[in-house]
Amino acid sequence: MTPADRSDGATSDSSVANDRLTDDDTARRRARLRSALKPRATRAQLVAALLCAVLGFAAAVQVRANQDAGLTGLRQTDLVRILDDVSERGGRLQAEARALQETRDRVTGGSTGTLAALEEARERTRVLGILAGTLAARGPGVELTISDVEGQVGADVLLDALQELRDAGAEAIELSTVTGPAVRVVASTSLVDVEGGVEVDGTRLVSPYRFRVIGESRTLAAALDIPGGVLDVLRQREAQAVVTQRPSVLISSLRAAPSPRYARPAVEGDGQ
Amino acid sequence: MIAAIGLVLGIVAGLFLEPTVPTWLQPYLPIAVVAALDAVFGGLRALLDGIFDDRVFVVSFVANVLVAAVIVYLGDQLGVGSQLSTGVVVVLGIRIFANAAAIRRHLFSA
Repeated sequence: MTPADRSDGATSDSSVANDRLTDDDTARRRARLRSALKPRATRAQLVAALLCAVLGFAAAVQVRANQDAGLTGLRQTDLVRILDDVSERGGRLQAEARALQETRDRVTGGSTGTLAALEEARERTRVLGILAGTLAARGPGVELTISDVEGQVGADVLLDALQELRDAGAEAIELSTVTGPAVRVVASTSLVDVEGGVEVDGTRLVSPYRFRVIGESRTLAAALDIPGGVLDVLRQREAQAVVTQRPSVLISSLRAAPSPRYARPAVEGDGQ
Repeated sequence: MIAAIGLVLGIVAGLFLEPTVPTWLQPYLPIAVVAALDAVFGGLRALLDGIFDDRVFVVSFVANVLVAAVIVYLGDQLGVGSQLSTGVVVVLGIRIFANAAAIRRHLFSA
């Protein structure tokens, strides 16, 4: 190999000498450069031009190919790696999509369940509110008015009437003086004889008494009217009793919901 | 000067003819271009040193391209094609820089 092939990279330390060039050296160098740049159709110049053209052509082609190369210019190993990446990523995304779908199903299913439970709880609240006397109630029923002229009707008779009405399916009951205070009758209602009347849950009621009852009105009326029943007893006590069936009875008296001090809702399946 | 004109002509031809690179050549063309670039820089440096020889230039040009292509081919067969390509490019790059430095010293004396 001749010294002309100076592309071996190990000859770069002639610069120290070149830094102190004589004018003569510089002039010779300039002349050489000029002669090299002068277009002459020597064989050397033509060959160099040909090879440079090949280089330029190849470089341009490669640059162009590289610009619009998608996957076509890649090696097999690179393609395999890319395929692996893509399929792995696809798997990951599929797993993520599955997880998200499960979450969505759980959330939407849970929300309909929650809505249903909420609706049921509201319904139960309404039912229990009527039973516990915390909600006003309206419906078909009867009115029973008792005018106790002789003062013979006490708590026992009223309690009998109450039980009879409950047995006949009364759903809401109000006991009142006809033009006076009214008491919503619930499970815990107590009736106590007092002077000149009856104390119902601490409220003193006097004759004439009035029951307002919501339920199947004919059943209620029949239950009051059975032989030896409430109306019979009232007649024996010389009290005037009037039963009126009404298509719509409004019971508007309320009572506060008692909050239990000791009892707590037991969880189902709680063995304690 | 004629060489520079040839280079420009080649680039223009490549840009305007828009040939498609054959598939078998695709992995080797970029390396071959870099190797040829190295040969051209070496030739330019030799020219400035006053020792340019067209025969040597042709041989070094062709040999550079062929060796680079063979190395890449071998690397592909061994399964280390991309790494070996990187290595070849690095080595050729270093040589190009060294030759460019020598040319720079000739032209600017610095």
